[in-house]
Amino acid sequence: MSNEHDVVKDVEALSGDPELASMFVAEALDHLGTIEATLLQLDDKPNDKTLLNDVFRPFHTIKGNAGALGITTVQSTAHKVEELLDRCRSGRHVMGRKEVDIVLIAVDTLTAMISDLAERASGKPGIDLTNERLTLIANVEAILNGGTIAPVEPVAPKAATIERPELFFEQQPQAAATVPAAVPKAPQTINDALIGGAAQRSAVHSGIKVDIQKLDTLVDTVGELVILQSLIQEAAVAQISDPKLLRNLAQLRRITSDLQHSAMALRMVPIRQTFQKMARLMRDLTQRAGKPVELALAGEDTELDRRIVEDISDPLVHMIRNSVDHGIEPREVRLAAGKRETGQLALRAYHQGGNIVIEIEDDGGGLNRDAILKKAVSQGLLTIHDTPSDDEIFALIFAPGFSTAAKITEISGRGVGMDVVRRNIEALRGRIEIASERGKGTKFTIRLPLTLAILDGLVVRAGEERFVIPTFAVRESLRPTPQQIQLVGGKPRLVQVRDRVLPLVCLRSLFGLGQLGTPVEMSTLVVIEDQHRQVALIVDELIGAQEVVVKPLGSSMNVTGIAGGAILGDGKVGLIVDADGVMRIATAGNTHVEAA
Amino acid sequence: MSTTPNAGIAGKYLTFVLAGEEYALPVGRVREITRITDITVVPRMPAHVSGVINLRGKVVPVMDLRVRFDLTATPPTDETCIIVTETNIGDRRVVFGAIVDRVSEVLNVSMEEIEDRPDFGERLDTRYMLGIAKVKGHIKILLDLDQMLADDAAINGRAA
Repeated sequence: MSNEHDVVKDVEALSGDPELASMFVAEALDHLGTIEATLLQLDDKPNDKTLLNDVFRPFHTIKGNAGALGITTVQSTAHKVEELLDRCRSGRHVMGRKEVDIVLIAVDTLTAMISDLAERASGKPGIDLTNERLTLIANVEAILNGGTIAPVEPVAPKAATIERPELFFEQQPQAAATVPAAVPKAPQTINDALIGGAAQRSAVHSGIKVDIQKLDTLVDTVGELVILQSLIQEAAVAQISDPKLLRNLAQLRRITSDLQHSAMALRMVPIRQTFQKMARLMRDLTQRAGKPVELALAGEDTELDRRIVEDISDPLVHMIRNSVDHGIEPREVRLAAGKRETGQLALRAYHQGGNIVIEIEDDGGGLNRDAILKKAVSQGLLTIHDTPSDDEIFALIFAPGFSTAAKITEISGRGVGMDVVRRNIEALRGRIEIASERGKGTKFTIRLPLTLAILDGLVVRAGEERFVIPTFAVRESLRPTPQQIQLVGGKPRLVQVRDRVLPLVCLRSLFGLGQLGTPVEMSTLVVIEDQHRQVALIVDELIGAQEVVVKPLGSSMNVTGIAGGAILGDGKVGLIVDADGVMRIATAGNTHVEAA
Repeated sequence: MSTTPNAGIAGKYLTFVLAGEEYALPVGRVREITRITDITVVPRMPAHVSGVINLRGKVVPVMDLRVRFDLTATPPTDETCIIVTETNIGDRRVVFGAIVDRVSEVLNVSMEEIEDRPDFGERLDTRYMLGIAKVKGHIKILLDLDQMLADDAAINGRAA
């Protein structure tokens, strides 16, 4: 039987009904994700029949759906694995590490096969996975044949009824949330309470699959509605005196705002999938590094913007690799230090204020303050005479090309490092902080906005134009007194704000909007900051705080210092200031005040 | 018949006026025509890019065609319009608005009415012309939107 021929027939089957096919692909990949997560739990509790059934059922569904569509390669592969699972279920075979391993491989292989079929069906060239598939089937066969017969196992549990998900609606059996395996030491009072609440949320959600494009259109349209509503509101308050009409308008405003929040919530997804990926990564990493490490997940149900969930994955992978490779000490060192042999790594997510917080905490060796300092001096980032604080020293690991790893291992330490992590997080309008104690461990805290679609901003005026400065970058705003302004070469260049002296940057000259009409001490200063720097921006006027819907600037006008546009209350576009870009321009060019 | 170089150019055009001259854009590229509205200046953009506008909730870049074609810029009048165009470059859709003095009409331009790009010598740059149409004795300059976009890094998104 020619195998490539089978694949070609499968592709034909998939191309036959594109809509049904894309549904099959999406659903199967979804199921495989669930299976993987459940398998990782099964790894710890191989005798748990419920978990086993949770693995078996989706496999059966995939097999059934593939069969219905005539996708024989997927069907036969899933069938083989199902056979193994069925035997385990009925007690004729014992579920063990070997079995979990092979089913994990099956998940990978099936994921690759289905993705490949989808690629081919859309006319792209495929990859030949025949080898992987046949090896897998042979291996499963070997386990089936050589597998130990179960000892007197109690009577097989009643087979769970097999659910065939309806085509559009589905009952998603969410994998039971992993209960955080008591994080060692440090009682995490508030955090744990928060996490616990999220983790215990109901296990079953019913859902409906919607094309993301339709969702974005909805969110856009609601955005327009909100803007129009506020236009009408503004005009009405000035012109209408009819109390009933005004009351109705107020009601309309509330409903519009509710609608906006609901629409935004549609784009929110739980971080679960990303966390599960990390659990899988850990399993592979610890095997390769030869260090036993336990990963405790918490808060997988925490929801955040779909794009953030996607984009946070890479930084997390990198940080977890770092923790396993450099953070957690080798077994002997741990034992000598009186620690448990197994390293502990915790990954948590929770809401705090208007933010999502993700924490990665290990109980390893902690950051080596002196090694970082030495490296920083050798790289010219610091001089020997500097006396930086611990925080400042730890922040150095985010500098480009900075790595203190003594040796380069397969897992990490190749120099592409934490600077990339920080840049990725900042691109998501987030921040990362480190806390570390020598010998006790390291904790990274990532703070992210709930969504990228809405921004809390401070609206300011410079010349004729209005700009929105993201609130997270604003430290404070103030009216300077003449005593605070310091002249350099006869021009106001610096301002003293409490104990700090900050450079003065005029927003007008920065963006080529002409000269400031008033002396500096008559204008308003907005102090913006990033991790290292603070700059005082001179603006004409502070208009107020406002939530804005972030829009890209047309096709792709890419302007340093501008992060996008927002439609303001009067319908005109205001530009969103990119604080990092502004600081880069300010430090590069001559944008100081050239006014009275 | 299909060997005529102008075969692909014939069709419906939207005509408009710029400094007294009649120009035309293929109707298929025009998404809508909107009255001139508040334009937000975007810093660090070339002179012909006037800024961005709010087009029913979307932020769309706008260029001043007069400035683009080195004609004298004039303040907007009651007749000043923005023609919003849509072009696919690869798999990206580029939407931008062009400020023109006045929009005239939609015109069916037949093959016979189209002449090749004439040699205007120094007087006019023919780089952005698909050709010239002579309709009922009037000259219309058929604009090559693709060429204009290809040369315009600020609008086509290939700018750094």
